[in-house]
Amino acid sequence: MPSEFALEIDNLTVEIAGAAYVRDVSLAVPEGQIHGLLGPNGAGKTTLLRSLYRAVAPTAGQIRAQGRAIGDHAHHEWARKLGALVQSAGLLDGLTPRDIVEIGLSVLELPHGEFDRRRQDALELAGLADKQDQPAGKLSGGELQRCYFAQLLACDPEIYVLDEPTNHLDLHYQLALLDEVRRRGRTVLMTMHDLNLAVRYCDHVYLMAGGRIVEHGRPLEVLNRQNLMTHYLVDGQFHGNVLSITGPIHQQSQRRRA
Amino acid sequence: MPARFSLLFPAALVAMVLAAVAGVLWGTADIGWADRLAILSRSEEAPRGLSLIVWQWRIPRVLAVGLIGAGLSLAGALMQTALRNPMADPYLMGLSSGASAAAVAAIIWLPAAVTDRLGVPLIAFLGAAAAFALTMGLSQRRGQPMDPLIVVLAGVAVSLMFQSLTAFFLYIGDPHATRNAMGWLMGTAAGTEWQEVPLLAVAVVALGLVFLTQANALDATLLGEERAQALGIRTARLRAMIFVATVLLTGLAVAVAGIVGFVGLIVPHMARLLVGARHRVLLPITMVLGATVLIAVDLMCRVLLAPEELPLGVLLALFAAPPFIIILRGLRRAV
Repeated sequence: MPSEFALEIDNLTVEIAGAAYVRDVSLAVPEGQIHGLLGPNGAGKTTLLRSLYRAVAPTAGQIRAQGRAIGDHAHHEWARKLGALVQSAGLLDGLTPRDIVEIGLSVLELPHGEFDRRRQDALELAGLADKQDQPAGKLSGGELQRCYFAQLLACDPEIYVLDEPTNHLDLHYQLALLDEVRRRGRTVLMTMHDLNLAVRYCDHVYLMAGGRIVEHGRPLEVLNRQNLMTHYLVDGQFHGNVLSITGPIHQQSQRRRA
Repeated sequence: MPARFSLLFPAALVAMVLAAVAGVLWGTADIGWADRLAILSRSEEAPRGLSLIVWQWRIPRVLAVGLIGAGLSLAGALMQTALRNPMADPYLMGLSSGASAAAVAAIIWLPAAVTDRLGVPLIAFLGAAAAFALTMGLSQRRGQPMDPLIVVLAGVAVSLMFQSLTAFFLYIGDPHATRNAMGWLMGTAAGTEWQEVPLLAVAVVALGLVFLTQANALDATLLGEERAQALGIRTARLRAMIFVATVLLTGLAVAVAGIVGFVGLIVPHMARLLVGARHRVLLPITMVLGATVLIAVDLMCRVLLAPEELPLGVLLALFAAPPFIIILRGLRRAV
């Protein structure tokens, strides 16, 4: 049955070795919107994303893309529909940025005629056209992140899953690459530590704590002073789209929260 | 990259054929050119004794050594990819020693009927599998990524243990083995028979082709476990395939020639320097280079101190030491 939502998650629980990292989470991202998962370290954001790209199997619950369950897709078919930018340690000896982008295109068996164009466009967007044949092992953390971003942009799936996409990126590429994602009008679910960027890009955000969604809504509504204090342990508030922070709140309140 | 490969691959093939021809023409026995030609053309005038040396000893030996070189290099390249560890190798991880200990124990203690029934290759395969399980078990740290250095240390420990066991078995047993103690511990292809070649050939060629069809999935594996999964690769299944293939190749190699070290470590690195790390070019080059290197080293073992023969392990370790140190220095800790 077709659904108005590109990505739906119903009552998802993920346990790893007996410990619950995601508890009974439900959310739905309409076609073409950018939704953000926010929350402090250990809130379960990354685990939630991992279950979307099939790195962990959910203990309970449903994941659907365009109304069709994840389990009804072959692995490669799902990967063509939902692409992810993730954190993971590789062995890059003998690979170049060009290889990294090509690997994504080859694995997903994208039409051969478009292969070269997609690769070059993506490398240029990521500012790596002039470094495409250099050893990937010698790139800086930011350049490497741009390589993987370029791979995802070249594959251009219908749903983008981004785990801390701005990691290691300088300000220019943080904005340039996320602008590009938004320009393409794809459906996006991403985790984000930078709350200013979350406010700038997300149509809707979910605030997670202890594996659950504790609040969701428009970014500025969710990121109010009370939530910043309770979940991020900082005293701050948004003025327009800019977060101004007075400072971290004291350890005592941290203890009270625990 | 493909342009480079299309030049280098034929060149490597030519080198392999030249090495093989040299391996057949030269050896511990000194044969004149006239006799060489007579023997190879199977002429009536060929001296029977020398003809026997070439056809029954040298040719199967060169073929077996080439296949072992190709197989161990393939195993090394696959392990390095599966574990994303540049130091992964059937020898360093203890597989060869496990296979050798199992084969020696079986030959000494099991009734010949049983050993013949099961076959030394199968027993060596089981030994390699046990050693591999042990190394991986010792390297696991709950909830932490496997540190490449810890894997190597665990492998060295397992390797030492099995090598002492082999030496112990050989010392207390009465080895009616087809090879001497030196062969089992340091590798030698002396005494290889024709009947040992077909199984090796089928396994090495078939596994080479199987993994060539998985080249894209292997490439994705290099980028990291989670990245490969996000690209739709079933990483656990691919890893299981690689581990079975590696253990199989090592078991077969050890059953024929004992412990042959370092080829699986060094050759894939040479290949990566030449053509990069994409598996559709890396695997073919790795296998051809592995065959070439081992045929050449085996030939040196036969001619350097002729009529005495050096064990393969001695020369291999000598050649492998400098690149080994370079790879070790380039190793990054797991984060």
